[in-house]
Amino acid sequence: MEGERLFNIVQMILGLVIMILSLQLGIGTLKKPGSGLFPFFCGFLILSLAILIMILKEKTEINVKILLDSYAKKNLALMIITFILWILLMPFLGYLLGTFIGTYSFSKIMKLEGWQKPLILSAGTTVFCYFLFDYYLYLDLPRGFLGI
Amino acid sequence: MDLLINGFVSFFTLKYFFACFVGVFLGTIVGVLPGLGPATTMALMLPFTIMHGPMFGLIMLTGILCGAFYGGSTTSILVNIPGEAASVVTCIDGYQMAQKGRGGAALALVAVGSFIAMQMGIVGLQIFAPMLARVALAFGPPEYFALMVMAVIILSNLSGGSPTRGYSMFCLGLFLGIVGLDPLTSIPRFVFGYDDLMSGIEFLPVAVGVFGISEIFFLSMKPYVPPSVKKVRFKELYPNKKEIRRSIFPTLRGSVLGFFVGLLPGPSAVISTFLSYALEKRLSKHPEEFGHGAVEGVVAPESANNSTAVSSLITLLTLGLPFSPSAAVLYAGLVMQNVEPGPLLFQNSPEIFWTLIAALYIGNIMLLILNLPLVGFFARLATLRPQVLMPIICIICLLGIYSVRNNLFDVWAMIFFGIAGVFFRKWNYPIAPLVIGVILGPMTENNLRKMLMGFRGNLSMIFDRPIALVFLFVTLAIIIFKIFNYFLARYALTKKA
Repeated sequence: MEGERLFNIVQMILGLVIMILSLQLGIGTLKKPGSGLFPFFCGFLILSLAILIMILKEKTEINVKILLDSYAKKNLALMIITFILWILLMPFLGYLLGTFIGTYSFSKIMKLEGWQKPLILSAGTTVFCYFLFDYYLYLDLPRGFLGI
Repeated sequence: MDLLINGFVSFFTLKYFFACFVGVFLGTIVGVLPGLGPATTMALMLPFTIMHGPMFGLIMLTGILCGAFYGGSTTSILVNIPGEAASVVTCIDGYQMAQKGRGGAALALVAVGSFIAMQMGIVGLQIFAPMLARVALAFGPPEYFALMVMAVIILSNLSGGSPTRGYSMFCLGLFLGIVGLDPLTSIPRFVFGYDDLMSGIEFLPVAVGVFGISEIFFLSMKPYVPPSVKKVRFKELYPNKKEIRRSIFPTLRGSVLGFFVGLLPGPSAVISTFLSYALEKRLSKHPEEFGHGAVEGVVAPESANNSTAVSSLITLLTLGLPFSPSAAVLYAGLVMQNVEPGPLLFQNSPEIFWTLIAALYIGNIMLLILNLPLVGFFARLATLRPQVLMPIICIICLLGIYSVRNNLFDVWAMIFFGIAGVFFRKWNYPIAPLVIGVILGPMTENNLRKMLMGFRGNLSMIFDRPIALVFLFVTLAIIIFKIFNYFLARYALTKKA
């Protein structure tokens, strides 16, 4: 419940910040509404609803399947790190090499056994992506330092 | 009739036939595989359809939507795992029929029922959409704004869980939708100096992030338990006379119910299945059979959700308002191709609507042909391990989103919303309102500002707009009803205590 309370507080702060920034943009008048009018109302509603949720003390039925135990936290962290590394390294490695390494990493995080299956999966995915993005769609994706 | 014939003539090209086939095939696969919903798949396929024109994209994406509802029943019946949310109810009696050795019959009845339901839905779309488009020509900014307000109230109440959280997510979506340059004044709003935000937050990274990436995160967080699949052979797909007789009226009732529920904002497919199941149980002479393999409990919900898939296109095509995540993706796809859905679509580009109708008729036949003989193949797909499938989906998400604008910012946004999606789902904040809010945000603001400028600040002029007043009264009635129910429930609780 503590995490949820923190989330509520973040919502309230977000709503407040939106309202303040909207006032800076100018809400105008009813005859001539300004750029900040609509976001001001959005921010006001976000803030009010977050306060309402907290006041009503709505009890979340914690979905036990989504409880973040240590196994779940570790895997989630690994997935996020892999996504981030892919985004950072893909322009340098090129999309094909990025696909190969990315697929291998994701499959190992998802607990695909051994090294042969992930290798075959990575190679197959890379070939599929090449035919789809390069051959069929002619998309200009990064080639990386190898130029492939 | 001439327009429909022209539609068929336009459709019968290799390109559109291919789009239709790929759409329904992919949709069926998506329906079978738990975790991947039609909205995510449609969003992922969107970048690949851009180069082929709006009609190609519309046909393929609609094929995915309809195929997903067909395919979802396969795993519900054979594995007791719903392929997608609208097939949850089918598990109740469908799996029980499979346990009794009548799985093949259930699949056949569902396939035929879905075919009939979709046919009825297509006829309804054909009749009502042009009529509603003519009425919608009288809509101005006040009517659209009032309709959107009403849609928000209905959507947030029907999204399941707490309506307060639904409203909150919708407001967040509205805000995210207006980030970027103000269309009227060109003032940058909430961009914080980032050039990438000047054109706003793209819809696709948000949709793929909260639906697709968050689902992948969830799958990675739990150990995989392989499902056991009931095997069905083609020759076992024969229902007996009694089962056929019992399925006729539930199919028809489900089709009609699903068609009208599909006009509502929100998860109308899911709602239609629950309503249909409840209706059949009430009307049945043997309600005690429900939960233990009642044929009515299988065919009626599946007919309802297939009919909903078609009728949910009506508000998108005639009013230009997407009321579900799948419709939001279709809207985004059409706008990316400079096709503006709404009443003017029927005036300026009627061939788009009628070619789509033709594609739906042909696609429905394709689905019936695919789903019966290939039922074994699709059932085996349900056993495909996420360890094999999810890495491929991850890469396609990454490359697909990157390829839209060749911009890594979109990929960062997708990951951010994927992480946010995990926490939204953990604390039961529904994500469908967020996605719909992103699409409706610019429209809602635009209509509000035009309305205020048109009224010259005098809000009493709303009383000169009867259609807008009707929408606002309905909205007020729903709000009063919800407040009344809330206090009634609290009073009942205090009295009990």
